[in-house]
Amino acid sequence: MGFLVWLESLPFSVWVHESPSVWAQPTVLTLHTMGMGVLVGACWVLDLRLLGVSRNIPLSAFRWVFRAVAISLFVNVVTGLLLFAGRATTWGVALPFFIKIALVIASAATVLPLRTYVLQSEPGQLEVNSRARLLAIASIIAWSSAITAGRLLAYLVEGA
Amino acid sequence: MPPPITSVNIAHLHLLLNHIPTVGAVVALGLLLVAYIRRDEPLKLVGLEVLFMIALLTLPAYMSGAAAFQDLRNQPGISEDAMRIHQDAALAGFTVVEFAGFIAWVALWQSRRRSGRPARGLVAASTLLLAVSLVIMSRAATLGGDIRHPEIRAAAGGAAEPAGDPERFVATQISHFMVDSPWGWPASETIHFLGLSLSFGVLLAVNLRILGVMEQVPFADLHRLLPWGMLGFGANLITGMLFFVGQPKQYIGSTPFYWKVVFLMIAGANFLYLTVFRQAWSGDRNSHWHANGFDKAMAILSMFAWLVVLYGGRMLPFIGHAF
Repeated sequence: MGFLVWLESLPFSVWVHESPSVWAQPTVLTLHTMGMGVLVGACWVLDLRLLGVSRNIPLSAFRWVFRAVAISLFVNVVTGLLLFAGRATTWGVALPFFIKIALVIASAATVLPLRTYVLQSEPGQLEVNSRARLLAIASIIAWSSAITAGRLLAYLVEGA
Repeated sequence: MPPPITSVNIAHLHLLLNHIPTVGAVVALGLLLVAYIRRDEPLKLVGLEVLFMIALLTLPAYMSGAAAFQDLRNQPGISEDAMRIHQDAALAGFTVVEFAGFIAWVALWQSRRRSGRPARGLVAASTLLLAVSLVIMSRAATLGGDIRHPEIRAAAGGAAEPAGDPERFVATQISHFMVDSPWGWPASETIHFLGLSLSFGVLLAVNLRILGVMEQVPFADLHRLLPWGMLGFGANLITGMLFFVGQPKQYIGSTPFYWKVVFLMIAGANFLYLTVFRQAWSGDRNSHWHANGFDKAMAILSMFAWLVVLYGGRMLPFIGHAF
């Protein structure tokens, strides 16, 4: 708790949380939402392809997905840390918040084996093995759960 | 920064926009009927495109009406009941015309893939729904005229509607559900965020292809993804309308909401362009298509417009007064 109080009292944390400026909490939260849209959306497009939508597109064409994931994940980790610091004593003790973080980590964990699978696919490869299809289903479910948990924080956590 | 459209002239904006669903629907229906009589397939596509745009513009038409309602409800000589009756009819018409626009979009998407021949069933279904919406919209327009034109009521010889319980209106019932139910609002927010992610992902893939990523992939294969983007958009239109009908006062007169709707119109028109534009479809499947400058500009506009739509929504609690 001492650490959370210290984190929340840093001038920067206070600025994010308290400042009436549009560049503080509102912009950080908006960037977090935009990052979410790109991150989850890019993963879902790949998942749809693996499950048979647009099956004429070779798997190797989807390399851009991992660049989009890397950029948006970076944006969301940074903005997420800022939002956490602004209300560290609220988030740091809230069970729903930890469930959300666990779901985000689980979702991101499905990206790594899929990345290896896509990067190692043959040029022009169209077939998808059943392990990749299962991972795609896991990815869709995990990201949906992560968004649901994140969105419900506003209703489940007192003072959120 | 004051909202560009303030409550002073919002009623005028509604008087301007409210002709779109009626006059526009007559034009779209006329085009489709002429196309049927002449067996003119390209003209059917034009009719469907006009129908899609009418469905899009009916959104601000409805919303400006809700704003005018808040503005006028306490003025003497104006019946709140008459406005509520009009609003319910407009909401019904809105719902039907959105379905018509959705089916028209599916027909346009499919006809682009079949090099110009829309599926008969889809065209017939959207024409039929458009005709139904025109009937409902005409009734809504007549009821709307009753609000401010007592001479119409007098000429019709009708007695004034008895003031009734506001609970009998659908808009009121939706509002109660959204506000009173413990899960209505949170569930809708969750679906809204899932929908936006799905739309963002699909549009990112399609627009990146136009901008030169995945150039070895024929555009048709990315075009195949568009219905998934439309699914996300449809989920967000429904949940977004639940928010708006649930708590209209949060959105009316809000600057970020105004810009959200303006850019939603731009983004929607752009989405129609991405669905039907021809350049990417000429040549055989194996030749790589390079987008020209205009199409690249449209791809950038698409991503920019959707980001503004998201920005406007996310800023509602901060610049506006929504929760």
